[in-house]
Amino acid sequence: MSDELVSVTIDGLPLQVPEGTMIIEAAKQAGVLVPHYCYHPSLPSPAVCRMCLVEVEKAPKLMPSCVTAVAEGQVVHINSPAAKSARQGVLEFLLINHPLDCPICDQAGECELQDFVFQEGRSGSRYDDYPKRYAPVEDFGTDVLYVPNRCILCTRCVRFMEDVAQDGVLEVYQRGDRSYIGMEPAHKLEHPWSGNVVDLCPVGSLISKDFLHRARAWDLDKTASVCPGCTQGCNMTVDTRDSTVVRLRPRPNLDVNRHFMCDAGRADYRWMNRGDRVEAPLHQDGGKLHACDWDTALDEMAALIRASDGSVVLLASGRAPCEALGWTMRLAGNNVRAAAIKVPIGPEAPIGAIPNLALRAERAPNLDGARMLGVSTDWLAAINAVKGAELVIVLDAELDDADIAALSGATHLIHFATAVEPRLAHADFVVPIATMAEEQGVFVNRDNRAQRFLPAKSAPGMARSAWWVASQVWRRGGEGRRAPGTASEAFGSLAPFDGLTYRDLGLGGRVVATSPAGAAR
Amino acid sequence: MAIGVKVMKRPSDEVSYIRATLKGMALTFKHMFQARVTMEYPEAKSTDDWRIATRWRGTHRMMTDEQGRSKCVACGLCPQVCPANCIKLVPGEDEKGHRYPLIYEIDEFRCVFCGYCQEVCPEEAIHVGVHYENAEYSRDRFVYDLERLQAQTHPVSTLWDPADPRGQ
Repeated sequence: MSDELVSVTIDGLPLQVPEGTMIIEAAKQAGVLVPHYCYHPSLPSPAVCRMCLVEVEKAPKLMPSCVTAVAEGQVVHINSPAAKSARQGVLEFLLINHPLDCPICDQAGECELQDFVFQEGRSGSRYDDYPKRYAPVEDFGTDVLYVPNRCILCTRCVRFMEDVAQDGVLEVYQRGDRSYIGMEPAHKLEHPWSGNVVDLCPVGSLISKDFLHRARAWDLDKTASVCPGCTQGCNMTVDTRDSTVVRLRPRPNLDVNRHFMCDAGRADYRWMNRGDRVEAPLHQDGGKLHACDWDTALDEMAALIRASDGSVVLLASGRAPCEALGWTMRLAGNNVRAAAIKVPIGPEAPIGAIPNLALRAERAPNLDGARMLGVSTDWLAAINAVKGAELVIVLDAELDDADIAALSGATHLIHFATAVEPRLAHADFVVPIATMAEEQGVFVNRDNRAQRFLPAKSAPGMARSAWWVASQVWRRGGEGRRAPGTASEAFGSLAPFDGLTYRDLGLGGRVVATSPAGAAR
Repeated sequence: MAIGVKVMKRPSDEVSYIRATLKGMALTFKHMFQARVTMEYPEAKSTDDWRIATRWRGTHRMMTDEQGRSKCVACGLCPQVCPANCIKLVPGEDEKGHRYPLIYEIDEFRCVFCGYCQEVCPEEAIHVGVHYENAEYSRDRFVYDLERLQAQTHPVSTLWDPADPRGQ
């Protein structure tokens, strides 16, 4: 694609687009969606569905807009009678064998066949005399079920596995109206990114076993977020129903994850719905933890920190966002003896054809953010520093038995916790904090791209964001200190992000310079 | 001064109670031979020229198939369309892979009897009924569960028919 611009007219709207753009993409810029099934911006186009046919003046026949590049002076009619009747014909053919089981289909409400038939399909079929093709539901492995009856043979799944995942286990078998999507018996859909075929499927043919019958599409509230699974930082949408997370789906971001997300990231939402949460601040009273109000907890914590002006160790979760890490670091001040996040390590799983997209080995979404804020990844060193430190702050870290044993020797302990941890009952304070699904925040991914996530559900009880708690305690520690009022302000007041606001980041994220601070502006 | 009292002399045939009684009884007995306009309600529930409209929208009824299972496939359209938010539905899957409602409850206290649930149902499963006798001894009995909805036997509403706006 060159930088040359060509002028085209789409449905009467004159437009300048780069040379080599396909008509379907140019139409998107003109604000017209050409109905399509086989075309997908992240997949090669075979033009098999014949749904995106448009009328191009001076062309002898209707042209498939997904593979026809724009040309200088081209005049395209998307909603002309000829194009409309072609689409209506395609829809009628698709519905010959497609069952009308929308009431029990998980895709209903986000189904492209349903949408386009409702939009411009015929009111009745002329093929009522023929029985519909029937084949039983097939288990494709991992999280994917195949319902052959609903398949419209757009082959998006085949092309994804072949060209993007480069593990071509799916094929179109048979010919004509006997075609179906299948696999060799020896094969299984086991690629770590194979869950994407569920999202790619325009109809309810490939469906998620995990999400099966969980919610209807129209029941879901969708929130823009960032996957907390690894340092890749795939953009995602959190789908909630009645304040329960039921599904994670990829959110397109051409600079990070295109339209995809790995299976591990998709499945990693159950911890967001945990029931054993800390709901009120707890402090030591008579040798036991007791609930108290926020003012008491904040005042007492400030007093503890003032009294103990010694060395502080910070042990944080790899999921802690920049705001939480930055403000607990600021709270610890100059006395930080060691600060580390815990980074779980797992096998790396690249998607295949897309460079710089993989499930990364470092399963911590904010690894680079932590580095920028002066928090190391040397967990062992931090654990060893606990002995002899005056105050240990645990920021929702996942602790194993060795960590717990080390923490039992801590002089003072403040535990910022989401879930109840009975093994840390000796903590001076247990502070209820929100998970990343319940607060706003920023993760910095491995390419130094700072990306926002938004709250998808409400935090339980009195739980607040960790940055809010840390900044309120910090404010009580000295005269003239002002705590940030918003998450955006809390983010911008951290040194590496000097003055950046959430608005500057947008929902697509923004690369922030590592050094010197403030160069990103 | 003495008070003068004027005694009115009325004709006896005008002030006789016998005459008034006969007149009243005549009216009473006349009604015995006229067409009846009332109904002795609990014993009689309809008459020849009056019965409850077939488009009446009363308490719900869930239709069942030949095997006695509910026809509902838990598509979720009725809780979605319900303006009073009175339908609770949790979908599930049986051993044959059929989708069915694990929980289907209608709170008849909250229901406004609009009939949208019947109108929207793609399986003709949930119906509003031609039924109005709903008295119960406790409030919680007004949340009808699936079993209760299936056990109802009253006729179901025809709803309003645009071709027959007056229901004739």
